Amino acid sequence: MQRKVAVVAQKQINSADVGMPRERMLYELVKSLYEEVGISRDDIDTFVLCSNDFNAGHTISNVFEDCPVGAYMKDETKVEADGVWAATYALARILSGLYETALVVGNSQGGSVMRPYLMMDYQLAPVYDRQLGLLNELSAAGLQAHAFLAKKGLTPDTLDEIAARNLADAAKNPDAFNGKAGASAADVAATDMLYEPLRKGHCYPFTDGACALLIASEEKAKKLTDRPAWIRGVGDSIDTYYPERDVVDVKSVKLAGERAAAMAGIGLKDLDLVELSAKFAHQEPILLEGLGLPADGGAASVSPSGGAFGAYAFNAAGLVRIAECFKQLTGSAGDTQVEGAGYALAHGQDGLCMQHNAVMIMSSEEG
Amino acid sequence: MTALERIVTTSVVPLDFTYNYRVGPYLENYIQGLGRKKILGSKCPDCGKVVVPPRKVCGLCNAIMDAEGLVECGPEGTVDNFTVGHVAVVKGLIEKLDVPQVLAMVVLDGASVPLLAELKGVEPSAVARGMKVKAVFRDPTENDLSDLSHFEPV
Amino acid sequence: MIMSNVAIAGVGYTPVFVSKRKDVNIAEMISESVATALENTGLTPDDIDAVTFGNMQTFEGLNMPHLWSAEHILAVDKPTIRISTGGTTGMSTLQAAYYYVASGLYDIVMAVSWEKQSEGDSQVGLAGIVMPEAMVMVQHGLDLFGGGGLSAMGGGSTGAASFQAMSYLHHSGADPEHIDKMAALERSNAALNPYAHLRKKTSVEDIQATPFIAWPLRFGHTCPTSDGATTCIVMSEEKVRKMTDGNVAWITGLGSATSDPSTANFLEGQLTDPAEQEPARIASAKAYKMAGIKDPSRELDMAEMYNGFAHQSLMWLEKLGCCKEGEAHKLLDAGALNIDGEIPTNASGGVFSTNAIGASAMNRPAECALQIMGKIEGGHKIPKKIRKAVSHGWGGMFQYVTVMVLADEPMKS
Repeated sequence: MQRKVAVVAQKQINSADVGMPRERMLYELVKSLYEEVGISRDDIDTFVLCSNDFNAGHTISNVFEDCPVGAYMKDETKVEADGVWAATYALARILSGLYETALVVGNSQGGSVMRPYLMMDYQLAPVYDRQLGLLNELSAAGLQAHAFLAKKGLTPDTLDEIAARNLADAAKNPDAFNGKAGASAADVAATDMLYEPLRKGHCYPFTDGACALLIASEEKAKKLTDRPAWIRGVGDSIDTYYPERDVVDVKSVKLAGERAAAMAGIGLKDLDLVELSAKFAHQEPILLEGLGLPADGGAASVSPSGGAFGAYAFNAAGLVRIAECFKQLTGSAGDTQVEGAGYALAHGQDGLCMQHNAVMIMSSEEG
Repeated sequence: MTALERIVTTSVVPLDFTYNYRVGPYLENYIQGLGRKKILGSKCPDCGKVVVPPRKVCGLCNAIMDAEGLVECGPEGTVDNFTVGHVAVVKGLIEKLDVPQVLAMVVLDGASVPLLAELKGVEPSAVARGMKVKAVFRDPTENDLSDLSHFEPV
Repeated sequence: MIMSNVAIAGVGYTPVFVSKRKDVNIAEMISESVATALENTGLTPDDIDAVTFGNMQTFEGLNMPHLWSAEHILAVDKPTIRISTGGTTGMSTLQAAYYYVASGLYDIVMAVSWEKQSEGDSQVGLAGIVMPEAMVMVQHGLDLFGGGGLSAMGGGSTGAASFQAMSYLHHSGADPEHIDKMAALERSNAALNPYAHLRKKTSVEDIQATPFIAWPLRFGHTCPTSDGATTCIVMSEEKVRKMTDGNVAWITGLGSATSDPSTANFLEGQLTDPAEQEPARIASAKAYKMAGIKDPSRELDMAEMYNGFAHQSLMWLEKLGCCKEGEAHKLLDAGALNIDGEIPTNASGGVFSTNAIGASAMNRPAECALQIMGKIEGGHKIPKKIRKAVSHGWGGMFQYVTVMVLADEPMKS
C-alpha cells in the first residue's frame, strides 16, 4: 500500500428494536464517537456511508443520513453493500492521498423496520427466480447447509454446536444483543426446522444496528490515538449468480482471502483471530476452509465476539466485524479478549449463499 | 452507550409496486420451449458448458452464448442436492407448511449445471442424491415459466 | 496530495438510449455497454482488475442487481463494489473507480452505470425518497398536494424543481424565455448525438407550445426517462503508457458535497433555497483546486451539466464558476453556449435529452472524455481542441452534487 492507514475508533449499536428512527440512531452513534475521540465533524475529510435503499425503505437512503452523521456541506458518498466494502472504499480514498480522515457509517433496521428475508428476495433474478418463488434466503441456506454436511460427511449436530458456541461467546460481548450465556447444542437442536438441515437456531438474528469507524492516515492516526489498528490488506471477489458455483468450496472466499493476505504480506495461518459474517451456522466452517484454516480455526480464534449470531444488521455487519477486530488488536475487547492478538481478519458477505465476499486484514503493529 | 428512551411509535407503510420486466431473447426462447414441453439451455461456444435456464453470458469464460442456438436438455435428470422445506417464506415472513416441500437441484441430462425445482411424488425421507428424476409439465401448457411444474422420480 | 494520475481510457454506451428496450432484459442491456467499452479500448475481460457498479435500485425494484448481473458485467472472480447516491450515481460510481486506481489498489477498473426506467415507475421511485415521511404525514391527516409548503409533491420531481426554477429566475434576472431557449439549444444538440434519446431539432416556439407542469416549468423543459447503460474504463498512468496510444482523458479534479434534505421543498419550514446549491460551489472549488484551475470562467473549454430541467444548465454554469452569477443567460444570448461557442454547454443534449438516471451522471464526464479524445461520434463534436472540461452530477434530495474535471494532460507530479 502506498500509505499506512489505520482504524482509529469504533462505535456500534445493536438491538432487536432500537426504538428510534435511524436518523436519531445515527446521530447518537456518531456523536458518541466524536466525543470519545475528541473531534468534531470538521475533522472528517470524507464520509463513506453504507446503507441500502431497500433496507431503509428510502430511495437514495443517504439523503437523510447526511445531517445526522455530520456530512452537511462535506464530501460524502454511499456504498450499497456490506460494510466491509464501505471500509475498503474509505481505505482507497485515504490511500489516494486526497484525504487524511474518513468516517464510515453503516446502518439498517432489520429488527423493527424492514423484513430481512424479503430484502433478500429482491436480490433474486426478477425474470426467473422471483417469478418461480422457490428460492429465498432460507431455502438457499438450507441447500447450502445440506451440500456442506453431505460433502463433509457430517451430521446436523455440527451446526448446533457452532451456533451454541457463537451464542455463548456473544453473551460475553456487551456490543452484541443476542448472546445466550451457557447456550447448548441441545437448545439449538430444539428450535424449529426450516429447510432441512437448517433450523431457526442456525440463523442470524434480525437486528437494528449501526456502526461507525474512524479511519485515518498514519500521520493523523498517531495524533488521534495511541492505539490504532492498522489496515494491512483488503480483498474481495464475486461469484457467479447462477448455480454452477460450488457453494461449499466457495471460490470468492478463497480469492478474497488470498488477495488480502498477499497485500498484507502474511500467511492466513498467521492470523490470531478471524471475525466472520457467517449468517448461518454452516457458513462458518465453509468460510474457514475458504480461508485455508482448519475447522476449529487452528491458531486463530473464530469470531470471539459471537460473530453474526450476536447481531447482524445489514450494511453495518461487516463494519461491526472490523470494529471487533479493532477492539481485539487494541486490547479493549474485555471478556472476549484474545491474549496478544496481533493479526485479525474481518469478513463481510452479500448475496445468497455468500455470492460476494470481502475481507480486511488488520494488525496491532504498524508493519 | 446508554439506553435511549423510545421517542416514536411505528408507522406501517405497506407499499407494493408493480414492475414490468422484459425477459430478453434467451428466456423468451426458454419459455416458448416450455410451452412445447421442452427444456432448453444455452451452450457456451468456448467452454462447452450447457446452462439451464439459458442466458447471454457464460460466467466462467465470459463468452457470449447464442440465444437462437439453444440445445434441448432432459427431461430426465439427476438430483445433485436437495432440501426439505417445512416452511415457506411469504413476503419475508416465515409460514409453516402442513406438508413439507422438497426442493431439488436437478442436473438435467445434457446440462452442465443444476436447475432448482420442486420434487413431488416421493416421501421426503426417501429423497437422495443421485436419484433419477424426470420433468412434469403442466397440461395444457400456457407459455409460462410455470409450465415446468415439478420433477418426480423416474 | 495526489499520489498518482488516473485517466478515462475508453467509454462504452449501449447502442441506443430510448424509452423502452423491449428486446433485452436488464442484465443483457448492461452487458452491451460493457462489451463496447472493452472493444473501444482493445482490452479483454482479464485486463480488468475490479468493477464499480451503480444505478437507482428502487427504480426497477432490484436489490443489489450487481449480484444477479455478475456474469453479464464480466465481474465474476473480480473485486466488485456497488455505489448508489441517487441522480449522481453514475459519477459516484466513476469516482469510486478513480479512487480504486488512485489508491494503488488496482490498475484498471471498469465503472458500470445504467437504468432501464421502462421496467418500473420512475416517479414512484423518486417519491420513495420521502415515501416514509409522506406516508406518516398522510396517516396524520396532512395534505401532501396543496398548501402548507408541501405542494411540491403535486408535480412529482418537476413540481419540486419549479421552486428552484422560480428562485433561479428571481436571483439571476433571466426570463422564462431563457429556459425555452436553453431547452431548444439542448434538444437541437441532442438531434446531432446518436446516443441521445430525444433527437429532434427543436425551436424556441416548439418548446413554448408545450403545456406548463408547474410554473415556470413546461413539459418541454423536462427530461425523458430512458433505458440505457454506460461503462467507462479507468486506468493508472502506468497502464495508460503500456496499454494505450496515450489518447486518454485525465481525471484531474473531483469532489462531492451534500446539503440538507429540506432543499427539495418537501418538508415544511424550508431552510435552504433550492437554487442556492452551496454543495456545487464546495465540490467544484475542491475539484478546481486539485486540477490547478484558478479561473474556471477562462480556463474551461466545455461543460457537461446534470440538468433534469432546462433552467438548470444556466444555473449550474453559475454555481460551478463557469461564469458570474446572473450571467449565464447572457452567455446563452451571445451564443457562447453553442457547440461552436466559447463554453459549449451540454453539446450532448444533456440529461435533459437523455436520462437513464443511473448512467446520467456518468454520461457527463464520459462526454467530456470523448470530446477531449476527439472520439465523439456524431455532429455534436466540438470544433475546437478541448483541453479542460468540467462535468457535474446532481441528485439526492436536490442537495447532493458531484464534480469531475477532465483534461488532455495529466497533472505534473
